[in-house]
Parts: sequence; C-alpha cells; structure tokens
Amino acid sequence: MSRTVRNKRPYLLLGLGLLVVLLLVHHFVLNLNLFPEAWDVRLREPLDVFKQWSIRNQTTHPVFLYFFEPISDAIDFALRRAETFLLWLPWPVLLAAVFLTAQKAGNLRLALLTSFCLLFMGLVGLWPQSMQTLALMTVSVLIALLIGIPLGIWAGRNKKVERGLRPLLDAMQTMPAFVYLLPVVLFFGIARVPSAVATIIYALPPAIRLTTLGIREVDRETVEAARSFGATPRQILFKVQLPLALPTIMAGVNQTIMMALGIVVIAAMIGAAGLGGVVLDSLRSLRVGLALEAGLAIMFLAVLLDRLSEAIAVRNRTGVMVMNGRLFPRSWQTNRLISRLEAGLDWLYTTGGRGLTRLASLSRSDFVVQYAYLFASLLLLGVLLWLGRTLDWTTFPEAWRFNLQDPTDTAVRWLRDNLFEFELGPFLLGTRPFSNFVILQLLDPLDAFFQEFLSWPALILLVALLGYWVSGWRLALGGAVVLFGVGLLGMWELALVTLSQVIVAVFFALIIALPLGVWAAKSNTVAAVLRPILDFLQTIPAFVYLVPVIMLFNVGRVPGIMASVLYALPPAIRLTNLGIRQASPDAVEAAQAFGSTSRQLLLKVQLPLALPSIVTGINQTVMMVLAMVVVAGMVGGAGLGLEAVNGLARNQLGQGIEAGLAIVILAVVIDRLLLAGATRTSVSGNR
Amino acid sequence: MTKPQYTISCRKVWKIFGPNPGGVRPLLNQGLSRSEILAQTGHVIAVRNVSFDVRPGEIFVVMGLSGSGKSTLIRCLSRLIEPTEGEIIVDGQNVVDFDATQLRELRRRKMSMVFQRFGLFPHRTILDNVSYGLEVQGIKKEQRHDQARQVIEMVGLKGWEKYYPHELSGGMQQRVGLARALAVDPEILLCDEPFSALDPLIRREMQEELLRLQNTLNKTLVFITHDFLEAIKLGHHIAIMKDGEIVQLGRPEEIVAHPVNDYVREFTRDVPRVKILTAKTIMTVAAADAASGHVTVHADTTLEKLIGLTAVSPDPLAVLDNDGCVIGMVDRTAVLQALSEGN
Repeated sequence: MSRTVRNKRPYLLLGLGLLVVLLLVHHFVLNLNLFPEAWDVRLREPLDVFKQWSIRNQTTHPVFLYFFEPISDAIDFALRRAETFLLWLPWPVLLAAVFLTAQKAGNLRLALLTSFCLLFMGLVGLWPQSMQTLALMTVSVLIALLIGIPLGIWAGRNKKVERGLRPLLDAMQTMPAFVYLLPVVLFFGIARVPSAVATIIYALPPAIRLTTLGIREVDRETVEAARSFGATPRQILFKVQLPLALPTIMAGVNQTIMMALGIVVIAAMIGAAGLGGVVLDSLRSLRVGLALEAGLAIMFLAVLLDRLSEAIAVRNRTGVMVMNGRLFPRSWQTNRLISRLEAGLDWLYTTGGRGLTRLASLSRSDFVVQYAYLFASLLLLGVLLWLGRTLDWTTFPEAWRFNLQDPTDTAVRWLRDNLFEFELGPFLLGTRPFSNFVILQLLDPLDAFFQEFLSWPALILLVALLGYWVSGWRLALGGAVVLFGVGLLGMWELALVTLSQVIVAVFFALIIALPLGVWAAKSNTVAAVLRPILDFLQTIPAFVYLVPVIMLFNVGRVPGIMASVLYALPPAIRLTNLGIRQASPDAVEAAQAFGSTSRQLLLKVQLPLALPSIVTGINQTVMMVLAMVVVAGMVGGAGLGLEAVNGLARNQLGQGIEAGLAIVILAVVIDRLLLAGATRTSVSGNR
Repeated sequence: MTKPQYTISCRKVWKIFGPNPGGVRPLLNQGLSRSEILAQTGHVIAVRNVSFDVRPGEIFVVMGLSGSGKSTLIRCLSRLIEPTEGEIIVDGQNVVDFDATQLRELRRRKMSMVFQRFGLFPHRTILDNVSYGLEVQGIKKEQRHDQARQVIEMVGLKGWEKYYPHELSGGMQQRVGLARALAVDPEILLCDEPFSALDPLIRREMQEELLRLQNTLNKTLVFITHDFLEAIKLGHHIAIMKDGEIVQLGRPEEIVAHPVNDYVREFTRDVPRVKILTAKTIMTVAAADAASGHVTVHADTTLEKLIGLTAVSPDPLAVLDNDGCVIGMVDRTAVLQALSEGN
C-alpha cells in the first residue's frame, strides 16, 4: 500500500502543477469558459437521420419486418388483451378478487388495506387509467419474469454465466431509468409498446439477480446430500434448489413489480397511457390537484401490489395459512371494544370456515375440501361477474366521486399566497426567499466556480487527478475521456448546471440524513418511528415526490432539488443507522468497559467502524439524486434533465439522446470515483 | 466370481485442488512440501497418496484434525469430489472409471452418506426427507413412504414423520440423517463427522445407537471423525491422517500400544489405556514350551484385568490365542510399562 502511495505522489504533484498552469492561462491569457463549439460532434443529426430512416423503413426493412415487428406485435397483442379485459371486467369483481386473495394470503387487515387502495382509484375517477397502468404492469412484469427467472437459474447454476451477467446487471442498475427509453425509442418508436419494452428492461435486473442469489444461497451441504443420493441435475433443481430458493425468488418478483411501477411516469414520456400519462400531462399544465390524485393512485397501486406480492411470498415461505379476523395491533387488545370486535370477527371466521368445509365435504372429494376456499371464491366472483355484466357495473359510479382536486388546488393557491413569502419581524421567510437563497448563494456560485473559475480543461484534469488518486491510471484516463465526450456532445454547460444541482441536493440530503441516521442508531424509539416512514417513502415511485414539492416551491431548479432530496433520504438514513448498529458489539462493549461516554463511544468507535457503510450510503444518495435528474427536469430543473424531457416531448430525439448520454456519463464517472473512494476508506478502516 | 475380499479399496488416491493439478505432480516428485507447493503454485494438496482397504461389515474410521484431508477423502469415495489420481475399487469395480449413469446408480443403491451438519432438506417433512433417496430412484409414493416409516421407527423417531427438520433437536435431526441414509438399504454408509455437531451426551447416545444398528444391519461403514476417543470406540480399523497423508493405520489397540510417532502419541494420551490395551498388544512373544505351568489369559484380555491378575501372580502369565495356543508372555513389568507410557 505505502509503496503505491509513494509512487503516486510525483504524478499527483505534477498534475496539480498542470492544474495551476491551466488556471493561470485561463484567467490571464485565454478564456476557456466555454467548451469550443466547433468541437461539437453533432451526434443528434445522424441520430435524427437514423430515426427518420427507421420510421420510413418500418414496414419494409427485414430487421424490422422479422425482428422488431413480431416482438412489437406480440407485446401489443398482450397489452391490448390485458387492457380490454380489465376494462371489460366489472369493477366489483376485481375488488372482490383482490379482497379474497389478500385475506387468504395475509389477513383481514391486508384485505381491507388492498381493497381501499383499489377503491381509491375509482373514487378519484381514475379507474380506466388505473386499469391501463395495471395492464401495462401485468404484461411487463410477466415478460420480465419469463426472461429473468430462467436467466437467473442459469446464472445460479453456472459460474461463467454469472460472471458474464454481473457487470451487465451492475451497469443496468447504475443507469437512471430514463436511459432505457432512448435505444427503445430508436427501434420501436413512440407508442405503448416501447414503453412496455423499456419497463421490461428496467425491471429485469432484480428478477435475474434474486433468482441467482436464491439458488446460490441454498446450503451447499443440502445440495451435496441430494447429489450423494444420486439425484440428477434436474432432480436437484426441481426438488431441492428451486423450492428452497422460492422465498428469495418471490422477493425478486416483488422488486420487479416495484421497479416496473417506478418507471411508470417516465414510460409515459414515450407514450404509455394510464396514470403515468395523467401525471405527466397535469404536471406540464401545472394542474397540481389532478397530479396529486394520479400520483396518489400510483402510490396506492404500488402499495397494493407490494403488500399483496409480499404476503404471497411470505405465505410460501412458511407454508402455513392462518385465517383470522385480526384487525388491530396486539397491544390494542386491552381495549374492551376492540377485543369484543375482534372476538366477533374471529367467531365469524371460524364459523364461516367450518361451514365452508362442511359444505365442501358434501362433494366427498378430498380435492374440493382442500381447495374449498378457492372454489367458494371463484363461485362468488362468477356470480358478481354475471351480476356486473347484466347490470352494467363496468364504469365506476360517478356519484361516488371523491374530489381531491379542488381542495388541493385551493390549498396550493393558499400556499402560494401565504407561504411563498411572508415577513416575520425583520426576516423575509417562506419558500420563495428560500429558493432565492439556494439559487443565489449555492447554485449560481457553484456554476460560476465550475465554469468561470475552473474552466473546462481544468475540471477534466481535476477529475482525472481524483481518479488517479483514489484508484489509478485507468480510472483517471477513462474519467477524463468520457467527460471530454460530454463536451463533444455539446452538453458541457448543461452538464455543469446539472452537476451543481446534484451537489446541492446531495449536500441537503446528507445534512438531513446523517444526523437522523445517527439519532436512529442511538435511540430505538426514533428508529421505530422512522422505519415505517422510510419503508413508505421507498415504496412510492420517484415522481410522486414532485407533487408536494410543486405545491410548496412552484417550478424551477429548487423544487427539482427538493424532490431529489426527499427521494434520496431513505437509503442514506438507513445505511448510517445500520452501519452504526452493526459496528462490532465486542468493540462497543470494550469501549464501554473502558468508561467511554456515549459521545466518545460514537465518535471514537461507532462512527469510524460505520464509515464504509456511511460511504456506501453517500454513494447511493448521489446515484439516487442522479436518477432523479430527468424527473427534476419535468418540473423545470434546468440542465440535462430538462433538455432530455424536452427532447422527447418535442420529438427531437437526437437532442434527448445526447442529454441522456451526458447524464449517464456523469452518473458513471461519479459512481466510479465514489466507489473507488469507498474501497479506499474500507481498506484503511480494516487496518 | 467370488466375493471380493474388501468392500472398498483405495489405491494411491490423490486430490490436488487448483487450476492445473497435473502440473503439480513433477514438483512433488522433486520432494517439495505441501506448504511450498501452496506458496509457489497456489495448489492445495488435500489427499496425498492414500491407500487403504475396508473389509465387509466393519467400521473403518478415518481420524484427523481439521484440514487433514479426511472430508475430501470421503467425498472422493463417491466422487462428490473427483480424485485427481488413483483407484477406488468398490466391490471389484473401479469407481473412477464410472460414467455418469454408473455413478448415479452407485450413489442411489450402494453408498449413502451422513453429513456433519445433517444436510437435511428444510422444505421437506421428516418422512419426505427420509424417502428422498427412494424418490430419486423413481419409487412410487406409497412404497417409499412405507419403507421410510420402517426406517424412521428403527432410529426411534416414530411419530415425528409430519414434522419439519427445524422442529427437531440436533440429535433427532441426525437420526433423520441416518435414517435417510439407511432408507435406500445401501451396502456402504459414508459418515462425515456425523456426531461432531452434537452435545457430548447426545454424541455418546448416538454412538451407541450406531453400534446397535451396525450389529443388526451389518453395513460397511467409513466413518470420519476428529475425535480420537470416538475413533477408538467405533473403529475396527483406524487410519490417522495428517496433511493429506495416512500416518498410521491399524486396529485401535495397536495404535494405542505402538504409536508410530509423537503426533499419534499425542492423541493416545487421553485414552483410557486400561480399557483399550490387551494382553496381545503388550506381551513379549514366547514359544509354547516356555509357558508351561503358568496362569493363562486370552489374547484379548484388557489391561484392566491384567493388573489384578499380575498382582496376585508372581510368575508371568501365558497369553493364549483363539485356538488355545500360547503366543506370548505378560509379566508385571510389561503391565507397569504399558500403564506408564500413558503419562
């Protein structure tokens, strides 16, 4: 270690010297503010030409005719079928199906929760759009699983396949969601199929990864035992590995669903109809109330699918089905009213269950008795379906419409009038002064620092030096080359605007998250309060954060930053908390035995030990903020995000792709630098 | 064809872990040690030129500390780990030459294995765990469940058929492991430290159980352990391994009486010598005529009994073999010496 450090020093010094020279040249000889426009490679033009070409040849060229067309047709067929079916289905049937499944897989509480989630979509008048989104989710997730699970099994059983897949999956997961849209648009155009394709690709990694993990996690001795009895590879897979990997695979299914939902609004940018489209349109026209309704509908869809798939997964793990009428937390049962109510529900359940079994045993078939609940449910659904079709219950009753829009819009107006700016004594408070402060004191100076003080060659050199310092030649050279690429794309200035927003967002996220994380690690009460909130924040798709942020901050760079901060908080808090809590208990006990105060314990033992975990948290924060760049662009967060959004919105694909590429480059460079830095800290932490 | 004399014969078995095991052999011929080879080439020599024979119906114990290669060796026998070199003759056939189908047949019908951490299938009931071996053979559900129930009863777990492994204690889990291995009615049982994960009391109980089952079923066992006392208690023959090699092979009392080097002697120190050593192992060889008129003892008489006998008899005792012929003499000095070597 020390040898390499000594070897690096002269080069680092040389680099710093060069940096000083560059700065002197920039300030006194030649102004290097702007990346030379003549060097712009104008990638957008060939891209737009290609797009034009692909549109013209969509019906004639063999690649489209025999490869993309069939895929596109198949997905389109499935999507249409699913959509038509869900819209044809009377809404009470779907509601009952969800209720019955949830109460079988979980309990009454889950059944009520999921039913409410579904009902909400109808109540706010977004039933058809919700069904469209649900259809898109179902088809995309099914296809993703169909590809992902077999691939995952293959990788789980074959080290070479895993080695080949891993870097690809790693790369896929560092990319902001938006990036998946770009190649898809090139080949499939803008319509509902490409949005499904993008969703499938985006949701694929967890399906593969967790299947592989599940297979690999199966105890080696268990597999060896199976082998020692002469089981064939097939028998080992189906009788031992798959059954034991099932819980992990189901967790993968759950994550795949959540990923697919996470991209729903972004997918709407390339033509997915449904809730995503509603959010997108209402954000564009600044109808905050409608955006809130659709955003909440997406959130409830996420909660519904998350809890339901989780319950099914957990049930698979234990193999036991508990049917009970438990509705409230156990601690509430001291209340007489509640315990009466629960006793009543329990009675209802046991009697109902017994009655069902008795009824089923009339058929004298074990099969019917075993699946009595299923048969009864199907019967009920059938009756509902018949009723629904005859009485025409397909559309959700307009009379039940629960209007959230108008009060929200009123609230937004009130906020605009009262909270944006108000005087309190000598201070000017409110969100507008805050925004101004952020822009004038943080963003603009940062921009100026990068662009005017540093100049572009100096910034590239600085990144190269950092890369060399934390890792080596390869990272230095690679970082410099791809950053130079941003300039060649003609995106240099926009990238700097984005970079300063990212830095400010990360800064805010960390000054909130780190103390909270430490506090949560120190106090079980705080941790218990934070956990459900963080869980909740992580289930919500990213752009739902935009709605309250717009309500408070209007549009512009600052609301984009605020949404990113909200989005990036959970992992940073979690990892800080975890890092401190997992710090070796022996070390903590030893420190206490020496009479350390709580503060000494934290500063001298727990924080240093938690450092690798905290650095990982910071890395994740940065990556999440970067992933939000495009979403922030939707509320006017200037820079690459806005450029990308506009590119797609105005059908200037080349421009969108250039901006997208620049975002990817930023993400990759920052990610590699931070990862290398994290490895360094964890190495020195271990010594 | 007559039945082969040995159930298993290992001939010059090697196992070298690493990317190019073949390339390491020349270095070994140059006389490089195990650690030198590890340092130079990154290859680990797990099993080094091991040969031994297992007789039908005996318990053959391989004893060694962790890292001595004993677990690798036992896995080479059914080729769960491919041996690098050597022959493994089971019932007259070389297992190393078997193709995938023959190997599967061997594992399904002839050899089964008991694992250190039990290796039970957590997602299957006890009944389904025990019938697994029969299931992969393709035996119908009713029949395999019947067979499995019999074996479960034999190991004393009747009534636990519907439970899952995690609901049982460690000792009971290993009974399941044993039952699972016995259910396919194999000729050979490979036991990889089956009792190491158990509490001392349970361990002793399981050892007794194994001996009892062995007496009634008469299987051939290869039994791995790191516990010398366990080896002595169970083994008809014991092979002591160190650094992948067998350093001593023999009957328990031979090893206790005549350890080949300090390494083996170290293990024998805690052994209750009076219970293990016999007249045969401590006697001086003598001709029949020299023993006339002396008190006689059988060759298998333990040291414990010899102490009493020599105490009351001023003259040496004559040692008789099974046919009643005198094969040697034991006197007080021999008894006292045998006792003192333990300290």
